[in-house]
Amino acid sequence: MQLTNYENRMLNGEMGEPIRKAMEILVALGESYDAKRMVEVRNVHLAGASIVVTGEAGVKFAESMQCQGGCFCTRTTSNPTALDCAKWRELGIAEKDAELQGRLTNALAKLGAQIISTCTPYFVGNAPRLGEHVAWGESSAVIYANSVLGARTNREGGPSGLAAALCGRVPECGFHLKENRYGKLLINVTIPLSGVTDYGCLGYFAGMLSSQDTPVFTGIPDTATPDELKGLSAALGSSGAVTMFHAVGVTPEAPDLETAFGGKKPETVVEFGEKEKKMMLDKLDREESSDVDWVMLGCPHASMFEIADISRALEGKKINPDVTLWVGTSIQVKTIADRMGYTDIIEKAGGKVVCDTCPVLAPTRDLAQKMGYKVLTTNSAKMAHYSPGQFGLMTHYGNIDKIIDAAVTGKWKR
Amino acid sequence: MTKEIILKGRKVVKGKAAGYAVVSTEPISFNGGVDPATGIMTEEEHPIKDVNIAGKVLVFPTGKGSTGGSNRIYDMADRKTAPVAFIQANAEPITTIGAIMADIPVVDKLDQDPFAVIETGDYVEVDADNGIVKVIKKE
Repeated sequence: MQLTNYENRMLNGEMGEPIRKAMEILVALGESYDAKRMVEVRNVHLAGASIVVTGEAGVKFAESMQCQGGCFCTRTTSNPTALDCAKWRELGIAEKDAELQGRLTNALAKLGAQIISTCTPYFVGNAPRLGEHVAWGESSAVIYANSVLGARTNREGGPSGLAAALCGRVPECGFHLKENRYGKLLINVTIPLSGVTDYGCLGYFAGMLSSQDTPVFTGIPDTATPDELKGLSAALGSSGAVTMFHAVGVTPEAPDLETAFGGKKPETVVEFGEKEKKMMLDKLDREESSDVDWVMLGCPHASMFEIADISRALEGKKINPDVTLWVGTSIQVKTIADRMGYTDIIEKAGGKVVCDTCPVLAPTRDLAQKMGYKVLTTNSAKMAHYSPGQFGLMTHYGNIDKIIDAAVTGKWKR
Repeated sequence: MTKEIILKGRKVVKGKAAGYAVVSTEPISFNGGVDPATGIMTEEEHPIKDVNIAGKVLVFPTGKGSTGGSNRIYDMADRKTAPVAFIQANAEPITTIGAIMADIPVVDKLDQDPFAVIETGDYVEVDADNGIVKVIKKE
């Protein structure tokens, strides 16, 4: 790789050990992708902010970077942690997990990250602009940033994000280069889509077909909400290794089909209709019994508009006493929900507004055992994908009306 | 007589390692798809669900899913539950970053289809520095 004088000085250790180690990681990554040079980044969203992901090894790595004087030079935000800072005990999180999480969060804060603890940084003040080079982790946020905002990022794991935040550089490869951002496969959506659950089915289907390639959708209406596009992004990032998508007439780099494919022909053309949607519903709604004991909304973290919808749906109702309902969101959105009275309505109905974490990033296998949860009921394709393998819980998957009905009656109706 | 096959590919992450192969025809998410305490695959409907990948040469098309995978691989190496080498069709950044951190050699883009040549249980020597994979077929 061709490095500038300044980058060579970073690599030689002239700027301290943390920057030397970070540059070593970035150069190794760049060389593995035949990157010619580094590109400057000023915006990092760090994955690997939960101890469930980092383990003790990752905590020690962040601590050693911080103890040796490491200091982020980018505007840096952090992904969810393993717990809700305010109500972790009530949720069933163990003391030892809280202690280790405290060490990781402290190290990241001292390094210079804003501890926003959300997978939706773009809803709470970190929204890069069209064409801006950034280094983001969190599979759903990477896809949203590339596709909906038009920023440029590869899928950065925790260690490379941390390295990028220390050096302000990432290798110039992959989705930083215009020529790698064009579509490969065309997916024609032939049915109307409504709500995050439909978009989740579409994303799950497209992710399975795409692997690392970029899908281009036609038939997504320009009325699609940020919440629906967030659900699409999260599902794409669960069943595949997708980094971005184009929705013709909707996302900024796809004004028309030709631009989305960079003038080339799609390698594959498929249809997403009723049959395909049904196939995905069958994959994601797999629990055979009608039992409902744990309900999870807000994956990725709910926006204020989603919380408003949930509170409207719950107003004047009582959640079944045998059901626990979580609404996952960021502390910032919860503050607005508190002011608007949404939190109060959800809590009066018997639900919990949970911040800073989510089941994918919490010690959920232990928690589910301790709390006696057997089934996860959700409107998120990402949650339904990870739940059976990661937490040992089969899932019910459906739209918000079905979920609220299940929470109130304690039964899932097919 | 034991049968040996030499494959040539591209170095993704440097190093040398050897072990018995586990072959997965589907991509892998190290976060949410594998139990880091044991190295056992947990993803439902995955072709190698319940298989232990600790200490193995893992042959798989590419990574997928959560960006937490990089940290997971580093953590698994620390716990001695990580594979010793990756052979991939096309390497992807999340697994590559984890491998760089954990000193796991990685090769991809081999001159023969690794899924046709390598079977679970074959003994495989990976010399990533020279992009060479030696497969000793099981008896």
